[in-house]
Amino acid sequence: MNIMVSAAFINPLSDEGEIIVRELGDFERVLSDNDDLVQIVTESRSQELSDDSLIPHNYVDLAIKRIEWYAKKKNDRNFDHKQYDFLFNTEIVKFDVIAFYLLCQAVGVKYGPNSRESRVIVESQGKLIEYRLGKLSKNERGEIVTNILNSLIITTHLKWTFFEDLISTKKLKLHDLILDKGEIILDREDFLERFSHNIQGRKPEKMYEALIGDRIKELVMIKMVMQNTENYILKVGEISEREIEPNPILLKLADRISEVLAASVHSYGFGSGYGGSVKASALNPKAFPPCVKKVMEGMKSGGRNDAIIMFLTPFISYARLYPSVFSENVSKQISDVDPTLLIVQNEVLPIIFGAAERCSPPLFEDQPQDKVNLNAKLGFGMHQTPELKNEGETTWYTPMSCEKVKIHLPSLCKPDENCKKIGNPLSYYNRMIWKVKKESKTESTAEQKDDNS
Amino acid sequence: MVKIEYLTPASPEERKRYYREEWDIKQVPDYITHSIQEREFGFDHVGRGPNDRYKVFRTPDLLKRFLKVRTPFAAYCSVAFYDKPRRRDRWTKAELVFDVDAKDIPIRTCECEGVCEICLNEAREIVCGILDTLKADLGLNNIHVVYSGRGYHIRVLDNDVMGVNSDVRSQIVKYLVGADVPENEYSLDYEKVSYEHFVIPFGYPNVFTKRIKYSILHLNEHTELDGVNKKLLNDVLKNRHLIEDDNWGLFKNKLGPLRYKKVVNSIASLNMSLVDAKVSIDLKRILRLPSSLHSMVSMKCTEVKNIETFDPFKEAVPKFVYERKK
Repeated sequence: MNIMVSAAFINPLSDEGEIIVRELGDFERVLSDNDDLVQIVTESRSQELSDDSLIPHNYVDLAIKRIEWYAKKKNDRNFDHKQYDFLFNTEIVKFDVIAFYLLCQAVGVKYGPNSRESRVIVESQGKLIEYRLGKLSKNERGEIVTNILNSLIITTHLKWTFFEDLISTKKLKLHDLILDKGEIILDREDFLERFSHNIQGRKPEKMYEALIGDRIKELVMIKMVMQNTENYILKVGEISEREIEPNPILLKLADRISEVLAASVHSYGFGSGYGGSVKASALNPKAFPPCVKKVMEGMKSGGRNDAIIMFLTPFISYARLYPSVFSENVSKQISDVDPTLLIVQNEVLPIIFGAAERCSPPLFEDQPQDKVNLNAKLGFGMHQTPELKNEGETTWYTPMSCEKVKIHLPSLCKPDENCKKIGNPLSYYNRMIWKVKKESKTESTAEQKDDNS
Repeated sequence: MVKIEYLTPASPEERKRYYREEWDIKQVPDYITHSIQEREFGFDHVGRGPNDRYKVFRTPDLLKRFLKVRTPFAAYCSVAFYDKPRRRDRWTKAELVFDVDAKDIPIRTCECEGVCEICLNEAREIVCGILDTLKADLGLNNIHVVYSGRGYHIRVLDNDVMGVNSDVRSQIVKYLVGADVPENEYSLDYEKVSYEHFVIPFGYPNVFTKRIKYSILHLNEHTELDGVNKKLLNDVLKNRHLIEDDNWGLFKNKLGPLRYKKVVNSIASLNMSLVDAKVSIDLKRILRLPSSLHSMVSMKCTEVKNIETFDPFKEAVPKFVYERKK
């Protein structure tokens, strides 16, 4: 069967993609208006054309549009997919590949592989592939996925350890894969040969389609392309450290990328989820997740120290002082948000000490030295109390993720319905606070209407 | 008849006797002695934790000398290999390890305070289950089992996996213990199809089924399960004979789908405590040295040759225990 779609449309890092990059020639062309690109964009079937700003005129514009699509789709309630229809026009592949490389290089050079910008490039690439595949016919989709997988995976006996990076970064979960004697089973015939004789009362072919089928193959392929994107940005970062003068076009593009991302958080408000920046305010214990509520009730001796020092202290301090730590992704010290430490003394510490007291036996009664560990977790060094002069001797520890809680304090994790949507107890809390605010806004608007009627 | 007092602490005199008269360096497994220069050793001399750390021995003879002279309360060795173990520097790889402590198993049929024959045997059964999955699913080799004194350690020295980081180890733990309830609804092109975990005889759902089966068959009327009231627990106990023969569909029907889900969810959340996950994800962990004395219970930390038949009360009791006079 002929493939209508180039592999580079899905995997810009493929051989086909590299050919396109080599054919670009003069790098400065990326800023020149390109009539071919504009034609492809305007001829895209559902493309909104009412405003010239919606049309990318050159490679750099296209790169920005790629990021804008992802950021707006995630955060903007008024996102209009017709404004970006050109991204799904397969004719755009030659321009799209260059745009992809421009993004990776800009971010790799200016911000490095561990930056928020780098994370967004990788995630946006994954999302774009997902949507592009969605618009292909079933046959085209199956064929292109198989071909790309074959180019990425050389061996037929694929060990699960091959995906170590994907598993480590949680792009793939071990339990989503079907493993047998160390190998990942992807191929239909292989599956049927190994398992069909054990399957009772169900059609093995259907079970293959459901458990593996195109779904897992696509997932594996997308995650591999994302991982390779991450690796490429890392490589760019390493090379740029050795070179003296980064290309000004890339630096300027990097700045524009940052602006797009900043705008997406501040301009579009809460967007599709609770999202956005959460302001620090007085704690509302009713909004605590089940794990925190359990610790607040008091712990028996098993895990008591970890629960109060490692788990509760970071949670309470961030929830009260810097609840948006994960969305802002900027490290702070407590004095950045509580310059006189008054909130720490009057609100944060009393809550933690209260929970410690309710433990049996009470934590600081039989282990007073743990006050030093508590202090250290707040960034005030190995001392008994928080003092500004000691700040910075240790790090202000961020709250444990749900994964870490399940490992270190498994008895605490009894998830409720709302836990499904989050990966950190702090996110649960922020979500609940947002819900409470939203409900009280709706109530007060309704009250106003009543008053006015 | 002299009653033998098992699982009670060893006196300093007994420790001395053990190391000077019974213990031999040859009892330390090859996988430690052959890499002795790359390992960090740690010792607890008085019973308050291993605070004598960063110890390195250039040869097994030097380790032998140390143990015979110092006769420590406990001896440990790193699971990690280092280029410079004296400073825990330049980590190269670490064994993939799992710690099944009989005291901490979430569903125990005994009611002992510490450990006893019953819960030690249950720990052994759990180890057997994990070993099966390590080999059949993850395809790992070079797996050793060590009786630690209060439970078991599984130590994997397969090079395919010794370089992996904590995040991967964490996912391996979750896979092995059945910590997550598998999906039961899957999307095909034009329909959704439902497969309960117990109809899938391979992969993670099958691991999950095995772990749940073990737990259900070990419940008793005093077991406390979150979200499972007394009536539901009794119904589980009444009908669990069905899953002995793997009649899961019938078992689920007897309970009803919603109640079945409650039971499964509750047990899944306990599964994470089957092993001490902190041990598995810590790339610089030190583990009790095989052949050393566990002084709290007067048992030898022993390499297990055959886990199916291993009985610590036959193979891991130091001579001085038999020589105790009542």
